Amino acid sequence: MEKVSKFLNKLTSSPYLLSVVLFVVFLLVWSALTQVPKFDASKYGEDDLMMMEMNGDIVRNEAGEYIMNAEKQGVPGPGPVMDKIVSEFQTPFAKTGTNDHGIGLLVSYTLKRFLSGFLLASVVAVFMGMLIGMSKTLLTALNPFIQVLKPVSPLAWMPLLLYTVKDPFMTSVLVVFMASLWPTMANTAFGVSNIKKDYMRVSEMVELGWFRRFFSVVLPAAAPAVFAGLRISFGSALVAVVPAEMLLGELGVGYLSWIEWNNLDISGVIFAIVVVGIVGFLLDYGLSKLAARFTYVEA
Amino acid sequence: MKNKKIMNDPYDHKTPLAKGHAHANASLDDAGEEFVANTATEFRQVAASSAKPCNHKGPCNCSSKVDAPAADSHEDRMGNLVEEAVVRAIFPNDLKRREFISRVGKTAAAGLIASVLPIGNMRSWAAEPVKASDIEKKDLSIGFIPITCATPIIMAEPMGFYAKHGLNAKVRRASGWAMVRDWGINKEVDAAHMLSPMPLSISLGAGSPEVPYLMPAVENINGQAITLANKHKGVKGPQDMKGFRFCVPFEYSMHNYLLRYYLAEGGIDPDKDVQIRVVPPPEMVANLKAGNVDGYLAPDPFNQRAVYEKCGFLFKLTKEIWPGHPCCAFAISQEFASTNPNTYKALFKSIVDATYYSSDAANRKEIAKAISPKNYLNQPVTVVEQVLTGKYLDGLGNIKNEPDRIDYDPMPWQSMAKWILSQMVRWGQIGPEVDFDAVAKKVYLEADCADMITDLGYKPKKESYDEFSIMGKPFTPKDPLGYAKSFSISRV
Amino acid sequence: MSYLAVDHVTKIYPSLEPDAKKGDEFVVFENINFTINKGEFVSMIGHSGCGKSTLLNIMAGFDQASSGGIILDGKETTKPGLDRMVVFQNFALMPWKTAYQNVELAVRQSHKEWSKAEVREWTMKYLQMMNLESAANRRPSMLSGGMRQRVGLARAFAAEPKILLLDEPFAQIDALTRGSIQEELLRMWESTNSTVFMVTHDVDEAILLSNRIAMMSSGPRAELAEMVEIDIPRPRVRAELIDDSRYMGIRNHIIKFLVSGKAMSGQDKSDKSSLLAV
Repeated sequence: MEKVSKFLNKLTSSPYLLSVVLFVVFLLVWSALTQVPKFDASKYGEDDLMMMEMNGDIVRNEAGEYIMNAEKQGVPGPGPVMDKIVSEFQTPFAKTGTNDHGIGLLVSYTLKRFLSGFLLASVVAVFMGMLIGMSKTLLTALNPFIQVLKPVSPLAWMPLLLYTVKDPFMTSVLVVFMASLWPTMANTAFGVSNIKKDYMRVSEMVELGWFRRFFSVVLPAAAPAVFAGLRISFGSALVAVVPAEMLLGELGVGYLSWIEWNNLDISGVIFAIVVVGIVGFLLDYGLSKLAARFTYVEA
Repeated sequence: MKNKKIMNDPYDHKTPLAKGHAHANASLDDAGEEFVANTATEFRQVAASSAKPCNHKGPCNCSSKVDAPAADSHEDRMGNLVEEAVVRAIFPNDLKRREFISRVGKTAAAGLIASVLPIGNMRSWAAEPVKASDIEKKDLSIGFIPITCATPIIMAEPMGFYAKHGLNAKVRRASGWAMVRDWGINKEVDAAHMLSPMPLSISLGAGSPEVPYLMPAVENINGQAITLANKHKGVKGPQDMKGFRFCVPFEYSMHNYLLRYYLAEGGIDPDKDVQIRVVPPPEMVANLKAGNVDGYLAPDPFNQRAVYEKCGFLFKLTKEIWPGHPCCAFAISQEFASTNPNTYKALFKSIVDATYYSSDAANRKEIAKAISPKNYLNQPVTVVEQVLTGKYLDGLGNIKNEPDRIDYDPMPWQSMAKWILSQMVRWGQIGPEVDFDAVAKKVYLEADCADMITDLGYKPKKESYDEFSIMGKPFTPKDPLGYAKSFSISRV
Repeated sequence: MSYLAVDHVTKIYPSLEPDAKKGDEFVVFENINFTINKGEFVSMIGHSGCGKSTLLNIMAGFDQASSGGIILDGKETTKPGLDRMVVFQNFALMPWKTAYQNVELAVRQSHKEWSKAEVREWTMKYLQMMNLESAANRRPSMLSGGMRQRVGLARAFAAEPKILLLDEPFAQIDALTRGSIQEELLRMWESTNSTVFMVTHDVDEAILLSNRIAMMSSGPRAELAEMVEIDIPRPRVRAELIDDSRYMGIRNHIIKFLVSGKAMSGQDKSDKSSLLAV
């Protein structure tokens, strides 16, 4: 009993150790639930075996014996998924055909679309947000339009955009744009309108011109709110780019998950999900590091 | 750069004749006069409606059709020669010809002749094969949906048929029919794999902007099936399908029309007694597995895939409903074909060539291997093989052998177009005032395909296709509207 | 000639009472009238809510008088400006700027024609005067309350304003630190010959620092009850002040006033003739 409690203590003392343990436990459970059953060929006649092989239920392994087809077991276990990950990462920049590019290339296409839309939206949203935050009249005037447009799902814009813009790259960029606009705009407006009165008083007191005041006081003061908005928008944008790719048939990670789904290749779908998750995590990490440079603690 | 005439322009009625030309009478006789008086307007109408693009390269101002040719290429000069010979053969008497032409006008005269004799065809197809240097656009992008219907379009890339005819064509995979349609309309791709009703619907502006489209060749005939969920193993016919939820890949598809036809023949109203939803084919299998739908009429390999996934069985092959029905097609915009005639011809050749190769049963296994990988269909090889070879598991525990489960025949018979149009009218997708003959003729290039087949040295699989029956009821190509109205279950 | 004159300033707000009718008014204070001479250190003392901070805001230009005005060096002022630098109770430092940058902002604005080097030199001088050299590159969140207010003071003085307005500057600083900062303030004031107006709660502080103390009665309708002259000679050392009889006398006088709300002379606050310097 004491040994157990000592062990548990050690475990919970380091959070990273705990993460590792949780992950290992998850893998074990997953593995156990997706065991490929053993196949006993002797139970079946020749014809049955032939039919099963035709239907892909059984395949031959290297020794020439029949085994259950691991790829047909419904949700795949960690083994097949790992194999998939390894094989995809072996040729990340290959182009085996117009429709089959390596995962490295796909990620770069998706990123290109995503970053273009996100950056464009961020610039517009920060600018608009600043204007709205500084002028109550403008806020009241624009508010009805914002409230109507905000809840529309970015994917709902896609058909209209495709019809007018026609070019699939610009369409996907604009879908990402529509997704990342609102949180940043709202947060920027909030940040600007909620700047502490004292800062504005100080800037009046030292007779700052409006230009200096904007860049020296308003922008830095609102920066934490702006970045908070950016991080939320970021999530929305990533969520929007994946289905946009699926619907537009443009090569990318979203497209990959669709095409793997097309083949009911669940390992492939899981792989695509994992890739999206990792890419999103890395980008968000980068963004948070950037945000940290502009945040300040209220004195 | 001046046009050097090989012979005199047969339509020229003003240049004085050289000495020695035969002319008995300088004017038309009574019969001729009457002919001209009664039918002059008709000639002009015919000329106006024969919508063959002129063969001028690049933008031009000719009001329609066969105009004075700009004879600056070998093909054009050959064509001129042919046309000239034909016209002179019709009007051996120079003066009579000239009088006739001066009375009715050159355009009408040319139009009349063109409506009787396919001079346009003779002009372009009689010329020599396309030289690689004449191809306007070698790098092509062709859209496709990853289904076995598009086999000739798809396999032409890995198996070298495009390259053989001087093209560097890449096939680009779309995720749905609307996407292919939009790619075609927005010129994201130069040509596309489409459902055989789509070039008709796009040309009519039904469900999309109106863009004139051509269908030079059919891709596959047969190759679909009605797949039902395993729990419906006891179903015998349409009468057992009341309340079912079905899927089809697109509204303007043979799948939709065949399913509706089949249900209607069994007394089931497809709009009232069952639900038919448009769903992308891969999702149909997933939905069947989840129990959200009762069945679907889909392109392969998604019927066989349902058997592979053990969630459905093949209830009926569509070849049992209408043997030899067209399914998918090779489509190209009229604009592309007219601005890039040599490319168009080379592409047309590659497709017909690939189609005949696919049709041969000996090649099916090889083709299945070539089109299964991730770049094309992305399906397990065994599934594609079962579809293409016709030796397959039907999901009820039997191994079936139907070698023409799917077959490939490029001929786009106009009677097929008329049937499709009649069904579009029947179900209210287009109005009954559509001009069946004109649209069918304009879009389904029956004659061009026939020429291409012989040009490549193959034999057409059928001599003609004016009569066919679907589930025992014959189709009347001469009266498609009446046919559409003749059904007890119909929206017109 | 007065340097700064508070000329019959009245401040009225629309009433916030729950049963107030439209047009009902709340008079914060009325007819505040006094002057400050150049080089003086004047404090104002009064209850919370008597409006002394409001008065300071009006003097600073952050707020407008309902009637009357502020005249500085012969000119009326209505907007904030570098000629009236404020030291705020909650420091009002820009948290994204370092201590140095906060001060430099004021220096740059008030001496627009200076070169970078001159600005730097001047800024460092004032930081040193307030013992902030080591903290120059730290952001306010890394500084203690006392340090932050030192920065506030450095900022205000470095701009060489005509008058410094201090709004309860040490209210949020602990008692021990307060003592040293008060001394630094005195040193700064003396060495720069500035004019200072300070609002405060702290009687001892006011007596220690000021030449005169203005006593505001409590609101509503607060008024300047009395102006007390502090004739204790400088330098005033805190430790020794307690022994000074004048100190205790003044202190008691003021405290009694604060407690009773009346001026020492026994008149209640409705008697306007109590507007006298003692």
